[in-house]
Amino acid sequence: MAAVYKSISKSSATKVDAPSNGIKRNKQRVLILSSRGVTYRHRHLLNDIASMLPHSRKDAKFDSKTKLYELNELAELYNCNNVLFFEARKGKDLYVWLSKVPNGPTVKFHLQNLHTMEELHFTGNCLKGSRPILSFDAAFEKQPHLRVIKELFLHTFGVPEGARKSKPFIDHVMGFSFADGKIWVRNYQISEVEASKGDEEEDKSHKSRGGKDTDVNLVEIGPRFVLTPIVIQEGSFGGPIIYENKEFVSPNQVRSDIRKGKASRHNARAEQTVGRLSRKSDLGLRTKGPRVAKSELDTKMLFA
Amino acid sequence: MVTKSKLKMALVAEKGVDFKKLKLKRKQKDAARHERNANGGAPVEDENADENEDEVEDVEGGDAEDDDEDEDEDVMIDLDALNDSDTSESSIELEEKIPRKPSKKIPAPVEEEDDEEEEDDEDIPMSDLEDLDDADKEDLIPHQRLTINNTTALLASLKRIAIPTDKSVPFISHQTIVASEETAESIPDVSDDLQRELAFYQQSLDAVRLGRSRLRAENVPFSRPKDYFAEMVKEDAHMDKIKAKLVEEATNKKAAGEARKLRDLKKFGKQVQVAKLQERQKEKRETLDKIKTLKRKRQDGGGGDLGTKEADLFDVGVEQEIGKQNQRSGAGRGQSAGGANHKRTKKNEKFGFGGKKRHAKSGDAKSSGDLSGFDAKKMKAGGRGKVTKTRPGKARRKSMGTK
Repeated sequence: MAAVYKSISKSSATKVDAPSNGIKRNKQRVLILSSRGVTYRHRHLLNDIASMLPHSRKDAKFDSKTKLYELNELAELYNCNNVLFFEARKGKDLYVWLSKVPNGPTVKFHLQNLHTMEELHFTGNCLKGSRPILSFDAAFEKQPHLRVIKELFLHTFGVPEGARKSKPFIDHVMGFSFADGKIWVRNYQISEVEASKGDEEEDKSHKSRGGKDTDVNLVEIGPRFVLTPIVIQEGSFGGPIIYENKEFVSPNQVRSDIRKGKASRHNARAEQTVGRLSRKSDLGLRTKGPRVAKSELDTKMLFA
Repeated sequence: MVTKSKLKMALVAEKGVDFKKLKLKRKQKDAARHERNANGGAPVEDENADENEDEVEDVEGGDAEDDDEDEDEDVMIDLDALNDSDTSESSIELEEKIPRKPSKKIPAPVEEEDDEEEEDDEDIPMSDLEDLDDADKEDLIPHQRLTINNTTALLASLKRIAIPTDKSVPFISHQTIVASEETAESIPDVSDDLQRELAFYQQSLDAVRLGRSRLRAENVPFSRPKDYFAEMVKEDAHMDKIKAKLVEEATNKKAAGEARKLRDLKKFGKQVQVAKLQERQKEKRETLDKIKTLKRKRQDGGGGDLGTKEADLFDVGVEQEIGKQNQRSGAGRGQSAGGANHKRTKKNEKFGFGGKKRHAKSGDAKSSGDLSGFDAKKMKAGGRGKVTKTRPGKARRKSMGTK
C-alpha cells in the first residue's frame, strides 16, 4: 500500500517538479558516515549533523581508510550525490571529507574544537529538518578554493527546497566564518521578539504573515566546530590535488615537534656531560682516562 | 568491480607529486651506478670524460621514465573505459560521470603552478621557527610542503557543481547569504572567545535580517506559528536536561550569595556582640570603682554635711568625665584595659602553661573525700528557705547604681 502511495505521489511530484522556466531543481542527498575508530564525541557530532539534515542518509561505519574511492559506489548505491565522511585517526584526530560524488571535487578538512549539542547546554532549539539560512563570511567569495568549499557547504548543509521531511518554516541559521585560516561553524536559532509595544494593533493585523514588526535575535543551538581545509581534489575521493593548504600542520607533526623539543633539551644536557668528562680526561683529572704524556720539562721528570 | 589496477590508478592519480620524486631518486641511483661502473672500468680516464658520460646517462634515464609514464597512462585509459559502463541512472540525477582525462594535463598544471612556488620549496618555514628556542633550531630539519593552488581547475570544478545563487533565482531555492564584509576584520584576537563569538553572531544576525526580508518579499512563511508542533532537533528530554542545568546553576548562584551574606552577617554580628559585652563590663567596673571611691571618701572625710555633699557632687562629676574618656579610648583598644585576661587564664589552666594538666578534672581520693559541698540542711525540704540571697533586689540594685 505504501509502495503504491509512494509511486503515485512520486509521479505527481515529478509533475510539479517539472521546471517551468528551464531552471534545474536543486536536488541533493548526502551520505553521512564515519570511519571506524571514531570516539563518542565524533559520533555524537555526526548524529547532531544528521539530525539537522533531512536530506541525509546515515550509514554504518566505513571499514577502510585507504580505499576511500569505494565511498563513491556506496553513495551511488544509496542514491546520494554528496558524501560527508568522518575519518578518525589514532582515536583522537578527526578529518572530515566533503565530496560531490561522481565527479568531485572533494575537500578534506581537519576538524578541531568540537563541541556537540549535548555538552554545550545551549537553550536554542529548532525544528528537525527545517531549512537553515546559510550565512557565509565575505571571505568565501574572495579566493577560489574557498568558493569551492562554500559551494560544497551549500550542497551539504543547505537543505534543498522541498526536501523530504523538511519543514516549511525557517527557524535556524548556520554561520560559516573564516578566521585565522580556519572555518568556524556555528548554528543559531532565530527567535523573534517584539520590537516595540506601541504598535501592537498593527502587529496583530500582520500576524497572519508572521508579525512584521518583530525584531530577531539569535540563540545558539550547537554544535560548534572548526574546520581547517587541507586539500581539495578534483575528483571524488581521488583525482589530482588542485589545492593544498600550506599553513596546515598535521597534528602528528605538532605532537612529534613537542616530543622532539623535549628530547633535544635532554640531548643537549647529555652532550654537555660527555664534553665535560672528555675535557676532564684530557686534563688527566680522571683516573680512567688516558694520562697526559709527561713532558720532559715536567718538574717530576727534571728532579727524578 | 574493484580491481587491483583501479586501486593503482587511484594511487597514481593521487600521488602526482610523489611520482616525480620517485623518478628523481631513481635517476640519482642510476647516475651513481654508472659512475661506479665508469670508475671501475676505466680508472685512468680524466674527469671531463666522466662528466660527459654522466650527462648522457641522465638523458637516457629521463627518456626511460617518460616511457614509464606513457605506460601508466595507457592503463588509466583502459580503466576509464571500464568505469564508464557502470554509471547507473537514479532519481537523484547524479551528474554524468566525467571520464577523467589521463593525458599530461594531470601532472602538468601542478608543475606549472609549482614553478612559481618552487623557489621557496626547500626554504625553512620561518613562521614555524620563530617560536622555538635557538637550541631547538639546530636540530630541526625544516620541512616545507608544496603549495598547490590550481586556480583554473578550482574554478572549473566550481563551475561544474555550482547552484545558481544570484538574483535570477528565488532566494528560497538556496537561502544563502554572503556577508558584505569579512568577519575576520572584526576579530582583533582570535583567541578572545567573547569577541570572536560576537563577530560570528553578528554575521549570522545580519544574514538573518537580510534573509527574512527577502523571504518576506517572496511571500514565504518564515516564523513558525505557535500551534505548529513538530519534532525538534533537541528532544524534550534533552531540553529538560538543559532546563534542569539552568535551574541548578541559578540555585547554586543564589545559595552562594546567601551563604556569603550570612557569613558577613555572622562576622559583623560577632563583632557587635563582643563590643557590647565589653561595654557592659566596663560600665560595671566603673560603677564599682565609683562606689569604692565614694565609700573611701565618706570614711576618710568626717567633715560637715554640706561640705561632703559638695565634694561628693564635684567628685562624681569629675569621675564621670574621666570615665567617659576612658570608655571612649577603651572601646577602640578592646580588652587591654581590663586586668588579667579571664579567658587566657582559663585556657592556661586547661591546656597547659606549666605543669601537668592531665586528669586535672578527673576525680581522685581527695576530691571524692571532700564533703565541703555537702550540707545536711540543704537536703531537707525546708533548707532552701535559709539560703542567703547574695543578689540584692531590683529596686535596691537600681538605687545602688545611681549612687
